[in-house]
Amino acid sequence: MAAALESGAPRAHKELVKTVQLEGQVLLKIIQHCSEALPQLVTGQLLGLDVGQQLEVTDCFAFPAAVADDEVEAESAGANYQLEMMRCLREVNVDNNTVGWYQSANMGTFQTVELIETFINYHENIKKCVCIIYDPQRSARGNLALKAIRLKESFIELSKEQKLTLKGFQEAKLSWRDIFVELPIKVRNSNLVQALVADLMPAPTATQADVDRLNLSVAPFLERNIQSLMECVDDIVQEQQKVSTYHKNVARQQQLYAAWLQKRRQENTQRLQDNLEALPEEDPTQFKPIPEPSMLDNYLVTNQIATYCDQINNAASEAIQKLFLMEGMQKASL
Amino acid sequence: MAATVLLPSGSNISVKVHPVVLLSVCDAYIRRKEHQDRVIGTLLGVVADNVIEVKNCYVVPHNESSEQVMVDVIHHKTMFELHQKVAPHESIVGWFATGSDLYNSDALIQDFYSKESTHPVHMVVDTTLKDNKFSVQAYTSRTLALGDKVLATEFVEIPCDTIFGDIERVGADLMLTGFNDPGPESKKETANKSFSDEAETLAASMGRLVDLVARASEYVDSVLAGKVAGDPAIGRYLADTLALVPHLARSDFERLFNGSVQDAMMVTFLSDLLRAHVALAERLGTAALPIV
Repeated sequence: MAAALESGAPRAHKELVKTVQLEGQVLLKIIQHCSEALPQLVTGQLLGLDVGQQLEVTDCFAFPAAVADDEVEAESAGANYQLEMMRCLREVNVDNNTVGWYQSANMGTFQTVELIETFINYHENIKKCVCIIYDPQRSARGNLALKAIRLKESFIELSKEQKLTLKGFQEAKLSWRDIFVELPIKVRNSNLVQALVADLMPAPTATQADVDRLNLSVAPFLERNIQSLMECVDDIVQEQQKVSTYHKNVARQQQLYAAWLQKRRQENTQRLQDNLEALPEEDPTQFKPIPEPSMLDNYLVTNQIATYCDQINNAASEAIQKLFLMEGMQKASL
Repeated sequence: MAATVLLPSGSNISVKVHPVVLLSVCDAYIRRKEHQDRVIGTLLGVVADNVIEVKNCYVVPHNESSEQVMVDVIHHKTMFELHQKVAPHESIVGWFATGSDLYNSDALIQDFYSKESTHPVHMVVDTTLKDNKFSVQAYTSRTLALGDKVLATEFVEIPCDTIFGDIERVGADLMLTGFNDPGPESKKETANKSFSDEAETLAASMGRLVDLVARASEYVDSVLAGKVAGDPAIGRYLADTLALVPHLARSDFERLFNGSVQDAMMVTFLSDLLRAHVALAERLGTAALPIV
């Protein structure tokens, strides 16, 4: 699908990112930063190189949580921090290339408008950028919840042209599934680090991660997920209401316009009889066309619902497996 | 290993290192400038009781020759300020150096760092893999003085340990189980485990648990057969663990089991229903039509 896009358009220099490769230390740094900052959500910058279709992330650093009162002050402080950090890192030969950012998510909620805006901002400077989402609460159940996403090319173009309405989406043949693309992650370590890891790790006996994974209490996790899902459904209903109000407004405006036009015509015939000039039949100031609501929120919420459903399905199937295992063990002991 | 000499004042400081730090040090070593043999940098962390926990580190550019040592202090201070903004509770706890031995210039650098923190710890990370082992050692310094005149500073080794936070274990697990065969060919496929393959990891966990139980039962069998002398502490511990397994009456267990399975299935059903609903709405185009 991406290849078709490439070969179709004569843009030879644009290759799409297909995989993301992380260094071990980036992985650990992200985990440490995000889990220590709970319950606050934090972000950080990713540095690395892009090698054709693979994006290599070799280092990362954390952003300070924005605490400034003044919005402008916070922005300039953030930019200063970034510049200083990059300058210092350059002195020690760290790759000075920004390739994206990471952020921690709460129970998998990350599809917000801010994310899209940040992506678009980044896209203006670097063509290939990726966002890594880490979910510390899901990881506490024993599985690493790490995802790398980027925006789909077609979606970026659509948003640049500001055509985020239903018609725009239909023309470009995009559905709500086509906003984000999830990329597979690989972890790579240099030889020295491999030696270190091999030395540090004990033999694979059961670890704390196993204990977390084999935990039988799954109800609270499911409850939280379902609650978030309910909020999402509420959001979607709101979005639908927005669309229906829009249509109603348009219909009402048409009616008013038709009435006004008729009155104008009557006036005009009157004036023609009096040999005066006819007034124009259009009045742009009074009947401005109402802007059509953006479908972006709608699509984002749908995306979020899909993520929650996936999470729930995974957790529930895991729970069922564990329960059946338990049953087997109980039957054996009885 | 040489016996560790504890400081005579009775303060047994010990150091715990997070693996992030070690990985960063290795990374910095690989990226060092060409003329340098080793890399030094600052260690950040927290001190609790007599345990120094090293959580983070950054590299400081330096220049050393046989006569003198120059450390880029401005860089060190800037990086520390930047890090303070992100993690205000971490403070400077010492410094690290790669290489296998202590150098003469280390005393001077240790001096500099003792102005920054009270008990600076000097960590030596052996990247040359001497003796085919990756060793990490920590030292603290003691000044040898004759009356008032300071003669020399002595580095005293203190126990150093690597600790894993629970969550880091998961990440570390993934890194380890990824490469069982670190040949140059397999580097391309190294640790290409899919992060979301939850069913497989559950099986792996169960496998490890079964392993453990098998080992425990083997041990008990051999003690019973008289082959191995039994250790009463272990016996008691095993008995306690087994007693924790709840004995439920069959009807109770069935009730609990059915209830949980039904909950999980209902949730799956609901989420599938929602997904089908959304897909249907999209196909029919009703998602964007006015609600009449």
